Amino acid sequence: MLTATNLTKKYGENTALNSLNLNIEPGEIFALLGQNGAGKTTTINCFLGFIEPSSGTANINGVSVKDHALETKKHLAYIPETVMLYPNLTGVENLEFFSSLAGFSYSKEELTSFLSKAGLQSTAHQQRVGGYSKGMRQKVGIAIAIAKKAKALLLDEPTSGLDPKASNEFSEILKELSANGTAILMATHDIFRAKEVANRIGIMKEGNLVSIINAKDISANELEQLYLQTV
Amino acid sequence: MAALLIKNFLRTKGFIFGLLILFLSGLTSLYIGKHFLEKNHEIVKKTAHFQQENIDRYVQNTKEMGSLLYYIRFGLSNQASNLAGLSIGQRDINPAVMSVTIRNLQEQKYNTDLMNPMYQLIGNLDFSFVLLYLFPLIIIAFGFNLVSEEKEEGTWSLVLSQAISPLKMLLIKMGIRYVSVLAVLLLLFFIAKLYLQISFDVAFIAYIVNSLLYVSFWFCAVWLVVSFHKNSSQNALILLTSWVLLTIVIPASVNAAIVHLYPAPEAFSTVLESRDGYHTKWDKPKEPTIQKFYQRYPQFAQFKHPDEADYSTLWYYAMQQAGDDEAATQANALKEKLRKRDALSTTIGLVIPTIHTQLMLNSLSLSDMRNYLNFNEKLQEFHERKKLYFFPKMFSNVPILQENWKIFPLEYFQDKADVQWLRAILPLLIISMLCVLWAQKNFIKNNTLNRHL
Repeated sequence: MLTATNLTKKYGENTALNSLNLNIEPGEIFALLGQNGAGKTTTINCFLGFIEPSSGTANINGVSVKDHALETKKHLAYIPETVMLYPNLTGVENLEFFSSLAGFSYSKEELTSFLSKAGLQSTAHQQRVGGYSKGMRQKVGIAIAIAKKAKALLLDEPTSGLDPKASNEFSEILKELSANGTAILMATHDIFRAKEVANRIGIMKEGNLVSIINAKDISANELEQLYLQTV
Repeated sequence: MAALLIKNFLRTKGFIFGLLILFLSGLTSLYIGKHFLEKNHEIVKKTAHFQQENIDRYVQNTKEMGSLLYYIRFGLSNQASNLAGLSIGQRDINPAVMSVTIRNLQEQKYNTDLMNPMYQLIGNLDFSFVLLYLFPLIIIAFGFNLVSEEKEEGTWSLVLSQAISPLKMLLIKMGIRYVSVLAVLLLLFFIAKLYLQISFDVAFIAYIVNSLLYVSFWFCAVWLVVSFHKNSSQNALILLTSWVLLTIVIPASVNAAIVHLYPAPEAFSTVLESRDGYHTKWDKPKEPTIQKFYQRYPQFAQFKHPDEADYSTLWYYAMQQAGDDEAATQANALKEKLRKRDALSTTIGLVIPTIHTQLMLNSLSLSDMRNYLNFNEKLQEFHERKKLYFFPKMFSNVPILQENWKIFPLEYFQDKADVQWLRAILPLLIISMLCVLWAQKNFIKNNTLNRHL
């Protein structure tokens, strides 16, 4: 579903992403680990079409992002590291707005159920987002992603700012989505969450994907050791 | 999507505050316009009254027709359109009524200074000031961060990942701002129509259309600037600089250039020439003055100056006529230069929307230079008619009381707005279209905005 072929991004002399080859199947969760600047966000931005690769291709469902940005965007949902919303609109209204951008028109009940599923307490649904905590905004972001019913989900450190309980609920949501066939690419610093939720884990260093591990073949501690050795 | 964008707009205090400022300053300008119209009306009414009173008094106290007409004044009012309540233009410096005796005209006409340093600038806080100066500021404030606020507040990445067409969303956002400002503008016109009792004629419609196009031009300019995807402070800087240039610097420079190009010292020299024209005649032989008068008006050749007399009405008015005749070249040159100034600023206005709009609005409101020149022409005709009527009566010394002095009320000149639709609309339309096309090119170049984070 998500395929990178020799995907490379250079900024002048600096190589942010070096010849990445990656294929994520429908229903698979792939976690990218790595330090800041290792190329995780660059990878995600190439799939989103936010940045143009220097060489190589990023394909979604077999379609090149570079050539058909609008087409590939339909299959993608995205949760940024910090979800920023319109402070003058309520949680429900923000969800409704972002869904309408993607061409969806949901009833109030559907919108409420998406928010509840994302773990946002129902008392907050009708409150303006201006008063939300980061975690609450993050949950609206998750609801927006769920509501898009996309074939592929791109997550850039989505659980940063979430408390452990919320993170755990989020993992459940991801598992449910993958069970329904969604391909998920998640950049994260949370080694234990990665081991918990992902099928495969990639470790990046200085723009290179240096190792790929099957999550079920490794314990969290071993993964941490490997990570520390790699970076 | 549109409903939520409207909600977001209405819940942002700054926008409502901006619209309120526009509305209140609009109301203030209408109040000022109303005051101007009332004052103008009052002047005309009083002049009409005092003219008759003045005539009656002199008729009772003067013995000769010749000396009576030395004193009494006949007024011609330059009737204001109620639209002048929206655009006072030059009407605050040019007189609403000219009252003249049948003596030489040029001196009476040009006794006042003709230079108008505010030709392209606006003196009053009238509606056209609010439209030309304040509306663009609010439009800039509403639109300068249309895209950049999304980037700077962090919502843009989510918008880009969701939106099938971010451009459509931006268009709706801009559209909401456009409609809200237009609504305030139309509301002000509605209030103006009732409050200033403006008749709903072609001039008023053209006034409204011109104003709408001017406001649209600024929205297109803002749209163009945001299409470059610069950050908020850069956008604000570009737009405010444009505002200063278009509303202040360029009009003032154009004005200075035009005054320099067509200097008008003739106003002053016309007065001198015309004064000399007759003053010097006191000490000269009377025969040549009278001969010149016969040449000018052969129909009065039957009236003679008594031989060796020191004074006669015929000679006195022949001398006055000499004043006008000798100043005629100067007077025409001045008129010509003023027309040329007007024509040049109109031409420059074709590419400068602020100048164009102001000239158009003043022209439709009959408060521009052209109206003043038209009025002066009518005044000359009016003066001529009065002379031709009274000359034979004076020269044959008809007894004053044989004349019915009740038939010389204040007369009125009603100028008519010359509405040239293409000329009014096209310049603004073309510049706006160019802004939109250029913006479109930028948006397309940015590959449906996707690459801009």
